[in-house]
Amino acid sequence: METFIQQFINGLSLGSVYALIAVGYSLVYSVLLFSNFAHGGFLVIGGYICYFALRSGGMNIWVASFAALVGAGLSAIIVERLAYRPIRERTPVTLYMLIASMGMSIVIENLFVVTIGGRFRALPPVIPTNPVNFFGIATTSAFDILSLVTAVIFLVGLQLFLVKTKWGLAIRAASYNLKTAGLMGVNVNRLIAIVFFTAGLLAGVGGIFLSVRYTLYPQLGAITTKAFVAAVIGGLGSLPGAVIGSLILGLAEMMTAGFISSQFRDLVVFGILIITLIVRPTGLFGKSVGEKV
Amino acid sequence: MKKVLALLTVAAILFVSGAAFAAEPIKIGYLAALTGDYAQYGITEVNMAKMVVADLNAAGGLLGRKVELIPYDTKTRNEDAVNAVRRMIESDKVCVIVGANSSGINIATAPIVAKGKTPQISTVGTNPLVTVDNKGKVREYSFRICFTDPYQGALAADLAYNDLGKKKAAILYNVGSDYAQGLREFFIKNYEKLGGKIVADEGFREADVDYRAQLTKIKNAGADLLFLPGMGKDMALAIKQAQELGLDVTIVGGDGYGEFMNEIAGDAMKGTYWVNHTYLEDPGMAPIFARYKEVYKDDCKEFVNGTMAYDAMYWVIDAIKRAGKAEGPAIAKALESTKGLKLHHATLTVDPATHNPLNKAGIILKVGDDLHTKFYKKVEPK
Repeated sequence: METFIQQFINGLSLGSVYALIAVGYSLVYSVLLFSNFAHGGFLVIGGYICYFALRSGGMNIWVASFAALVGAGLSAIIVERLAYRPIRERTPVTLYMLIASMGMSIVIENLFVVTIGGRFRALPPVIPTNPVNFFGIATTSAFDILSLVTAVIFLVGLQLFLVKTKWGLAIRAASYNLKTAGLMGVNVNRLIAIVFFTAGLLAGVGGIFLSVRYTLYPQLGAITTKAFVAAVIGGLGSLPGAVIGSLILGLAEMMTAGFISSQFRDLVVFGILIITLIVRPTGLFGKSVGEKV
Repeated sequence: MKKVLALLTVAAILFVSGAAFAAEPIKIGYLAALTGDYAQYGITEVNMAKMVVADLNAAGGLLGRKVELIPYDTKTRNEDAVNAVRRMIESDKVCVIVGANSSGINIATAPIVAKGKTPQISTVGTNPLVTVDNKGKVREYSFRICFTDPYQGALAADLAYNDLGKKKAAILYNVGSDYAQGLREFFIKNYEKLGGKIVADEGFREADVDYRAQLTKIKNAGADLLFLPGMGKDMALAIKQAQELGLDVTIVGGDGYGEFMNEIAGDAMKGTYWVNHTYLEDPGMAPIFARYKEVYKDDCKEFVNGTMAYDAMYWVIDAIKRAGKAEGPAIAKALESTKGLKLHHATLTVDPATHNPLNKAGIILKVGDDLHTKFYKKVEPK
């Protein structure tokens, strides 16, 4: 039982970080109907900005994190402007954007390899990682609790933004039909920029937490594969789906590793993905959209 | 007239090409991971090798010729290493290859150097299969300057059981690594022979970065020692995560240790033990580390790789001198017959039956409270 609770906590904390990244995938998908594989790049950019702000800039963690989030958000806007908008304006086929996003992900990764090198960097110990005991039944690190709380805060914040603000309404409208939203007087380019900024910002949050935990290196973005799987399981385009999918995935990984064998971990993850796609091709919360005329 | 002109031209071409041939440098290939997970080790090795070559050329070269170092990046991937070795042999025409800094890569490139008749010296490839094939037959063109995993595993088991008095060990290892698999096996064999018990034996996959599930299992198994037969980054992350989970064990690891782990895992590294080939305070190497710092404006942090690379280069130079020519088969013969060669960190004698160095001492390192890795003890082979 003790082990179960311990692995459950481990799973939740892993799932919450996946969730931050997965909602970014879903957010972009809901509006533009393509999976932005450069998403992992925004995460790495956020991590490096935080690293250099702390190491060279001598800033405190709050300022450095703020810089990282804004920086990751802006880089997302720039990537959209450079790589996706030209395609978007020329063709309605989203497949080209998907391919462009794969290219951008390689470009971002290699930009870091070439300019600052591929070595591992450790963030200074700005976030506490000391063990915390839960009533003597389980131990987790303060870091896990912090990442869980932060993920919840940002996800709630995102929900409020989407429900309570005018731009949130516009994004929701665009997720039904971008073209109609444009006809209704929404500035589509600005709307898409806001969507990318939000997705980039959330990736930046994930980037900071991941680089504290797993150290920072140009290929860190590869971890988003799991978050993408989570988004697909939850239903691409659905934000609650992305969160639920991430938690399922985080728990499944930890339980498999803890009770069966750590080598079966990925087998289970991708097994869940395949079963979901067979039983519910649109994911748990995805809505099936008919072919648009 | 025309005939004379033609003859003169031919003579001129012959003369020019003849002169070029005399000045043709001796090419030594260097195979190392310069990007990817093990880049920290590889960059240090190449830097050291460049220093040796620069010194050598300043002192007049080798056999009256200049020496040229040709480094290639393995990208920490077997397939890239295999391609690199092919290019070294076929297009660069190197006469000997130093590196790489991992067993898996040396095992993968062994058939290619054998086919190309170009000897290769592994710096820290400790798996037995680096120099000997599956049937126990020595690989004619594969050499190493380090001790092997059966010896290393015995040292680690002895340290854990006798020196530290830990009787219940857990292991966390990379299932995809030849090195980790081998070292784990030799540790278990020796540890159980001493009377110790393996209470948890957990694996992970190459690209994994999260080991908390496995560490939780290890914690619940009641281990008092964690043996890590891994490579730098994965061990550092495991140690850090073990601390976060409140896992209270003594940590012992092998020569995959790298000083950069102290930066990644921080405080959690304090009091960890590492079986290794050499130590920073080694009087034979101290002046060389000082020069390294002067040349590269950086401490030689990966001093183990630095030392092995430096001495491997001197071993090669000695072999080429004894062979009297820069040709693969002759150099291989000279390497094989090395006896009592005084290097900077050890005196080298090669066992012709296995191509392993004989009687190499093992060094135990311990990370101190100031996060500097210090000499703990030296173990002479029995």
